[in-house]
Amino acid sequence: MSDSAARARGLQGPLWRAIAVYRIVALVYVAILVVRNVQEYERPMLAWPVLAVTAGWTVLTTYAYADPARRRPVLLGADLLITMGVMAASVWVVGRVALEHGKPTLAVAWHVAPVIAWAVAGGRRWGVLAALAMGATDLVVRAHYDQASFTGTVLMLLAAYAVGTLVRLSETSQIRLQRAIELEAATRERERLARDIHDGVLQVLALVKRRGAGLDGEAGELARLAGEQEAALRALVTGPTASAVDDNAEVDLMTLLGPYASATVSIAAPAAAVRLPAKVADEIAAAVAAALDNVVRHCEPGTKAYVLVEDEPWEVTVSVRDEGGGIDAERLAAAAEQGRLGVAQSIRGRIADLKGTVRITSAPGQGTEVELAVPRASIG
Amino acid sequence: MTTQEKQIRVMVVDDHPMWREGVCRDLAAAGYDVAAATGEGRQAVRIAAAARPDVVILDLQLPDVSGVEVIQGLLEAVPGIRVLMLSASGEQQSVLDAVKAGASGYLLKSAGLSEFLEAVARTAAGDTVFTPGLAGLVLGEFRRLAVEPPAADGATPKLTERETEVLRLVAKGLSYRQIAERLVLSHRTVQNHVQNTLGKLQLHNRVELTRYAIEQGLE
Repeated sequence: MSDSAARARGLQGPLWRAIAVYRIVALVYVAILVVRNVQEYERPMLAWPVLAVTAGWTVLTTYAYADPARRRPVLLGADLLITMGVMAASVWVVGRVALEHGKPTLAVAWHVAPVIAWAVAGGRRWGVLAALAMGATDLVVRAHYDQASFTGTVLMLLAAYAVGTLVRLSETSQIRLQRAIELEAATRERERLARDIHDGVLQVLALVKRRGAGLDGEAGELARLAGEQEAALRALVTGPTASAVDDNAEVDLMTLLGPYASATVSIAAPAAAVRLPAKVADEIAAAVAAALDNVVRHCEPGTKAYVLVEDEPWEVTVSVRDEGGGIDAERLAAAAEQGRLGVAQSIRGRIADLKGTVRITSAPGQGTEVELAVPRASIG
Repeated sequence: MTTQEKQIRVMVVDDHPMWREGVCRDLAAAGYDVAAATGEGRQAVRIAAAARPDVVILDLQLPDVSGVEVIQGLLEAVPGIRVLMLSASGEQQSVLDAVKAGASGYLLKSAGLSEFLEAVARTAAGDTVFTPGLAGLVLGEFRRLAVEPPAADGATPKLTERETEVLRLVAKGLSYRQIAERLVLSHRTVQNHVQNTLGKLQLHNRVELTRYAIEQGLE
């Protein structure tokens, strides 16, 4: 048995206590019946030693089952046999005639305890097995084959089956929970280690980039490559990694925007997560991607772009500014009239769906700025 | 920088030996007096008390103590010391915590040499060095404080409209010169606005720490 399985077994404690309580209550019931019926027994004097055995076994099992280490097949087997023995003793003590007239056995109700014990210890198969054995003994001892007798046995069978199933179910879910907790702890530790390792790698890449920046030819090229990889790795390790369960679940917008950070794209945002419904975050991220794509397409290579994310209680604002050439207002308006602002249109379309606004400002020599504002109220 | 002026004393704290040496070399070449260099936070605080540098170039991720602790130790050991943080990963919360603890500037390690030297010069001159990323963090922090339930004495720090405007432009990557042009302000005024935002945050942080200490009965 694995460690987690052993821990799951520990959770059976309350069930075993319940069995002990049941057995004690059943013992009291048996004692009351014996006192009331003893005059009609075939051998009344023998009733008391059998009752003593019943009481003794009740006390013994209460203590024995309390320790998980002692809940072994030997004890379970003995439990079943001794209970059957007490029941069988009824044939001599109570007598055939009284039993056939419907007098209860000396183990009435008490005989269900070991059956449930088997179900708890071994699951529904053991439980059903014990119930069949105990039920058969009961029927044979009472030799009273009417509907009521069968109903008792069937009820015991069903109880054993149900308890066995429930025990297995709770064990499985407990083991799963345990595994999930262990996995989470391991993941967190791995992330912590990764942060340290990545920091070292980032340092070296930044160093290569910096020392090689002034060199010509291959060394300079290597430095540039190191710089690119440094930016990519930094974006990867600083980005949170949660993903949405469905469209309505909230995600951190920064999870989606983080990957766009690079040597030429700077991303400024609050330290805390910018939580938005997954669908809204997706649309905003797609709009930002389109804006950045536009920078790459229309500006000179290496043009820097700056993304700023602002999270206010009433709206989320994302602006994308580039340091490209920019265009003057007249040309911008003219282009819009002629429907040549393909990218701008797609950005406007996405944000309009979110009931947000898009503001595009540009001037020659001052780059272009696209500001998206999405009200939280519409996000609901 | 002329050597006639009093040389600016700089200390370099970075656990990466090659990086540390490289930074020391660059600083010496640019005319700074590299007073000390170490790879450990606690040692940095001890050395600073004796070497009394004007500026500390501090790697935010040290093996022994957190950046916040080093900054607090340095400010205690040498009041008025200026701390320029460098970070390889740019891990946001730790950068924000370090700035709140009293660092006066922040730069990613991926910054170029000229950018780095300019940042050191500005830090030495008493200016604050903001990256767009840091401006975004500070903006976010003021917004977080604004929506949080106010402290008992209601002293939630607030940015003026102008300060918010300036900070947003810094976060959008504009240089102080560009911001000054756009808002029709002097370069110095822009610089002051940026510095004020940081000052408010650091003051609030100190007040919070003191309040916490009193509440915990540590005073």
